[in-house]
Formats: sequence, C-alpha cells, structure tokens
Amino acid sequence: MAMDSGLALEVDRVRRCYGAVVAVDNVSLTVRRGEFVTLLGPSGSGKTTTLRLIGGFEEIQSGSIRINGERIDQQPPYNRDTATIFQSGALFPHKTVAENVAYGLRMRKVPKHEIDERVAKVLETVRLRGFEDRYPGQLSGGQKQRVALARSLVVRPAVLLFDEPLSALDLSLRLQLRAEIKRLHDELGFSAIYVTHDQSEAMAMSSRVAVMNRGRIEQIDKPERVFHDPANEFVYNFIGESCCMPLRVTSGITADKQGRAVDIRLGKGLADGDWRVYVRPNRVKIGGSAANSPNTLKAELHFVEFLGDVFRYHLRAGALEIFADHPGRIAKGLGDEVEIGWGSEDMKVFQ
Amino acid sequence: MSEINLARQATLQQRLEPRVLRVLSWAFTGFLVLYILIPVLITLVMSFNNAAMIRFPITDWSVRWYADFFGSTQWMDALINSIVIALGTTAISTTAGILAAWAFERYQIPFRTFWYMLIMMPLFMPGVVLGLGVAIAFGGVQLGSYSFYGSRELVMIAHSLWAMPLVFMLMEATFRTVDYRVVEASYDLGGRPIGSFFEIVVPMVSTGIISSALFAFVISLNEFVMALFLTDRDTQTLPVLMWLSLRSAGTPRLAVASVILALTVFVCMSVIMLWYARQLRKVAR
Repeated sequence: MAMDSGLALEVDRVRRCYGAVVAVDNVSLTVRRGEFVTLLGPSGSGKTTTLRLIGGFEEIQSGSIRINGERIDQQPPYNRDTATIFQSGALFPHKTVAENVAYGLRMRKVPKHEIDERVAKVLETVRLRGFEDRYPGQLSGGQKQRVALARSLVVRPAVLLFDEPLSALDLSLRLQLRAEIKRLHDELGFSAIYVTHDQSEAMAMSSRVAVMNRGRIEQIDKPERVFHDPANEFVYNFIGESCCMPLRVTSGITADKQGRAVDIRLGKGLADGDWRVYVRPNRVKIGGSAANSPNTLKAELHFVEFLGDVFRYHLRAGALEIFADHPGRIAKGLGDEVEIGWGSEDMKVFQ
Repeated sequence: MSEINLARQATLQQRLEPRVLRVLSWAFTGFLVLYILIPVLITLVMSFNNAAMIRFPITDWSVRWYADFFGSTQWMDALINSIVIALGTTAISTTAGILAAWAFERYQIPFRTFWYMLIMMPLFMPGVVLGLGVAIAFGGVQLGSYSFYGSRELVMIAHSLWAMPLVFMLMEATFRTVDYRVVEASYDLGGRPIGSFFEIVVPMVSTGIISSALFAFVISLNEFVMALFLTDRDTQTLPVLMWLSLRSAGTPRLAVASVILALTVFVCMSVIMLWYARQLRKVAR
C-alpha cells in the first residue's frame, strides 16, 4: 500500500487512440479527497473518454491510473472503487427504485439489514422517500437522475464519476439538480470528477475546472482563475461569451484583415503584426459613457436583437463584426455610427 | 345540357370510387380469413364425427375418436415424443441462439457477415436436405450401446438447425435495443459479467426470449420431413404417425391429432401475443 497522499485519484500521462484519432492525449490530473473536479470542453474534446478510462469502460494505451494510491488501470470496472452517474441514468428498468439503489451493496455482499438502512438513508438524502417501489419507467427525468445519484452514492466509492448527468434535462430542472449535487457534495464531501460541456455548471460546482480540447487539458485551476486568467486563447474563447476582432497593425496603423483602417483606440498600443483582440460582450459599454473608456471603437450599427434581459447590438467596423449587450435602447438608428468602449481587464489580446 | 350530365356522372363516379375500394378490401379480407379458417374448421368438425372414415355428411356426432386417441398407446407415445423433442429443441436452440446473438452484438468478430450468413443458412434449406444430411452423418454412429440414429436427441439436434437461426435472428434484433450503458452500470457497481448477464440483460430481453423459445417449440412441433427421416417406430412424432396412418386408413382419429397439434400452436401463439401486449403496456407506462 502506497503512502497516503490525500489523493483519491491520480491520472498520470494517460493516452487512448482510436485508429488515427487521439481521443485522450497524455492527460494527467489528480483529485484530492473531497475535491470536485470538472472536465469541461466541447464535444469530441476527450472528456467523456477520460472518464470512461477512469471507470474502466475503455482501456488505456499508456500511462497509469491510481485510486487511493493503488494502481487500477488494468482492473475491470467491477474491481474499481468508482461509481458512474450516466447521462441517461442507465437505471435497471425491471428493478424498483429501492432494488436499483441496493444493487451495488448487494454486489459488495453487504449484510441485508445494513443494505436496507443505507438505502433508506440515501433515498432520504436525495429526497426520494416514498418512491422505493416505483419502477424507473414511472419516474420523471429528474427523479431518474436522483435515483442514479443515490445508486452511486450509496456504495461510497473512492471517486464518483459524473458523465454529463444533467444534459438531458430541461433548464429549470438542470439548475435545481445542479444546486442539489452541490449541496450533497458540501454535506457528504465525496470526491468527484464531473464531465460537462456547460460552463456555468462547471463554474458553479467545481473545486477545480480542467478545460479540455482535442484530447488535452488546456488548463486546470479554480473556476475564478480559469475565467479571469485563462492560460490561452482556447480557454478564453470557450469560457464565457466573447467577440473576436482580428486586426493587423502595420507601422502603427490598425486595420482589419483586408487592410481597411479601423477607428480603434486601445489603452495599450499594439506592436506591428496580426492580432486577435477579444472582448466580453456583456462588459462592453455602448453610448454615452463609452467614450471615457480606456479602449474604444467606432462602428456602424448593423442590427439589434432583443434577448429578454438585454438588447444585443450587432456592430460592424470594416470587416470586424462584434456585438455588445446593453439593457436599454440607445438613441441610434441602423447604419448610424456608434462608439463603444471597454475596460482593459475585459479584454484579451492574442497574437 | 350534356355538360350538366357530364358533371353529374363525374360526381357519381367520385362518390362510388371510395365505396368500391372499401367493399373490395373487406371482401378480400373476408376471403383471406375464410381461406385460412376453412381447412382448420373442417378438420375440427370432422374430429367429432362418429363414423369410421373421414367422410361427409356427418350423420352422427361424438367424441369417440378423442377417447380413442387418448386411449391409444401408439398415438399418445407419438404425442409425447413430439412434445419432448419440441422441448429439447427449444432448450438447445434458445441457449445456443441467445449466446451466439450476444456474441455477435457485443464482441468484435472477424468475417462477421460470413458467419452470420452461415448461421442463417439452414433456415433456408429444404428439410429433406437437412434430414438426409443428418441421417447420413449420424446413421451409423454409436456411443457404447447408445445409437444416435432413431433417437429423440438426434431429432432435437436436427430441428435445432432450423430453430437456432430463428432464435439467433430474433435475439440479435432484441439485443440491439438494449442500452449497453445499463450493463456498464451493473459492472460499475460491482456486478460480474455472467451475473450481470442473467440479472440485468436477460430481464431486459425477456420478451425476445419468450417469443423465440415459443417459435422454436412450434417449429419443432410442426416439423415433419426431418422427423420422418430420423425416427423409428419408438420415437416417431405425431406428424410422422399421422402421415403413416393416412396411408393405411383415413379415420377421424387423424382429424383429432390435427386438432391437437393446431391447438398447441394456437396456444403458443396466444402466449406470444399476450406477452407482447403486456410488454408494450409496460414500456408505455
């Protein structure tokens, strides 16, 4: 037995290819006991494959996986101390809620009276008392996911693996269950890996977020750090909404990619070369106070979308297309020139 | 004037057309039902004939030939042979067919299409060919004092040549509907492969298993040619005995045997239908 390092899970330089496609490329990450780590990325970024490698549903081709210090990457899923909450719930359709939840305990040969106790307790925890004798077909989507959660929680695994468990639910239910998983984590302190493509989910629940792209982890850090201090352009782009302005600076003159000059004033001037300037649309000021911002751009109002809580003003300056969110109407018509501005902290520049 | 007449004719034709179609479809449905039912019904009626020969008109009704059938050791033995062979066929073909279908659905198999065609081939082979082949292959084979030829076991194996591909085909389609994540969930929670197969997979495909087992049973019960080739006086099945006695004397006992065979098939089919209906309701719930 290895010395106790306080780590529930250690994934070390794990790799998995399918033919010529590298699904997981030298991924390393650790989960401390009680930590909630999210794998966030677009579809096809390798996050689900990483999770399935940890659960034992796919085989790694190189690297190692340890749970509580013990190497388990050659073990079949039933010998690994993990429990997965699947996207579809994957409940046993011909078993009742109570039988579903008891299954893992029965497989672990836990005595009958203890099974009954633990099942009752966990159903209480996920607020499903009274549903013991229902079949999965009689439950709503949210209830099914609660059963799936209870079924995994009850075996007290070293690591809980969440495989986009909320993505099949509608928005209000998603928010509700998200808060509930967060509450359960605070109460029970389990260690977890949570796969999602929904960044607000990742931000809201995680101790740390790993942003994945093309089989690699681009950045792994606390949610605030990932948001405010992205390691690279991909992370900035993927987290939060942003507009991109591709610019070319030649002998101090800023122009769009086609060489038309753009009336942009940046607090910190750009050296000659090609740049991509990103701004957060909800941080862009439009109208009156915009001119006082350290960074400004004069653009033509193209069209306006009403998004409910804000208006989204689509603007064009040469070949640049950006948009700005503003709660009220502005006194400008389509085709008029508008000045927008933003703070330097709301902008990222990549070459 | 003629224009008005034309218009009237058109509307008359337009009004008639759907009716004609409806009448025709009902007529043909009725024809089909009669076509299917008449032989069965005539046999059923004939089985209650008191006369010594199968002949119309029936002058005297009785259940005499039913008593005769159930009182005859020869006929009862044939019925028992049929049922035992059908049960054996069901056991062999469902076990083999289910496992083969699972293998095809779950594992990487080289030359998959080739093996698939090979497994399905007997289903399209004439019974004479299969029966003769099995008879030639096992004709002289003996295991100690036990001779394969003429045994019930050999007929079970021969009938499984037909029943197994059918089970395989049905179960392959059924397994394709299984959400494999559920099986993964079982492994994930500590369930071992064989235990998970029986506790998680089998109940999910119970409809497929029950119906393919009943199909296998019915196929074996109905089969005549292979059974004729492979049985002797002690192991002959009901269809074989019926054929043999038809050549000697056409008594209403034959009709009784037909009714009993048909009734067994009817019961099996009803069970399949009921089971399907129940499963459909379960899914809809």
